Amino acid sequence: MPGTRVTMVTVSCRWSVPMAMSITHRGTGVALSGGISVFAVAALVLPGSFPHYLDLIHSLSFGPALITLSKFALSFPVAYHTFNGIRHLVWDAGKGLKIPEVYGSGYTVIALTLLTSLALTAL
Amino acid sequence: MAALVRIGSVCRGPAVPSLLFRSAPLIRPLAARKKDQDYPYFCTAKIHATPSNYAAAGSKAASLHWTGERIVSIALLGLGPVAYFYPGPVMDYSLAAVLTLHGHWGLGQVVTDYVHGDAKIKLANTGLFLLSAVTFAGLCYFNYHDVGICKAVALLWSK
Repeated sequence: MPGTRVTMVTVSCRWSVPMAMSITHRGTGVALSGGISVFAVAALVLPGSFPHYLDLIHSLSFGPALITLSKFALSFPVAYHTFNGIRHLVWDAGKGLKIPEVYGSGYTVIALTLLTSLALTAL
Repeated sequence: MAALVRIGSVCRGPAVPSLLFRSAPLIRPLAARKKDQDYPYFCTAKIHATPSNYAAAGSKAASLHWTGERIVSIALLGLGPVAYFYPGPVMDYSLAAVLTLHGHWGLGQVVTDYVHGDAKIKLANTGLFLLSAVTFAGLCYFNYHDVGICKAVALLWSK
């Protein structure tokens, strides 16, 4: 069919911003949940304390670029999932479901996510 | 064109609201021609019928679950700022509980969407339950024996 694209997910329709944002919401959710689970298992399994391991990482002297990147890598999914989560709750209340509103709120979420991630990274 | 569409998931939608029950998908022939801003597209999928995992008609289990999910989401939204301003053990354990539950229910929706077949669903949900139990145990252990979630975030960010 003209205009269609076959991606890893074989879906017979074109990508759209709402579609991409929806799967990103799921992706960030799964990633954050997985991260928390890994952290929890590590807490149970590893012998040392959290400050001990933090100092260990700092003694490896990664350099400011990597630290900034790591902070952004943590902030971005939290911010995106939070703001898009609020957008979902607004939909659940029955509001903002018209297509132009969906796109508008979507772009707002993206903008807020970028601003918040950058602010958190700079903290 | 009549297309059979599995409600709730095929194209990760535009704005498929969570109002639709995922636990009891309905079979419906549907003419699906959506105008998405400038270009139309069709979404087609195989029909899918899942036996309801909850009790018979009249059970409010699915509805209550949905409401519970929203309440926990809102609770988690509130906990963030409160934890920032009032860190301590009460917040640590509250965060551990709400985070784990929100994640458990969220991953449960992922299982419902992608895992099919009675045995596989049961297996996946059992695995998920174990994961969430271990996660909660680990977070509580961390809160008790180590610095706790609030302090850990503060320490992590102080570098």
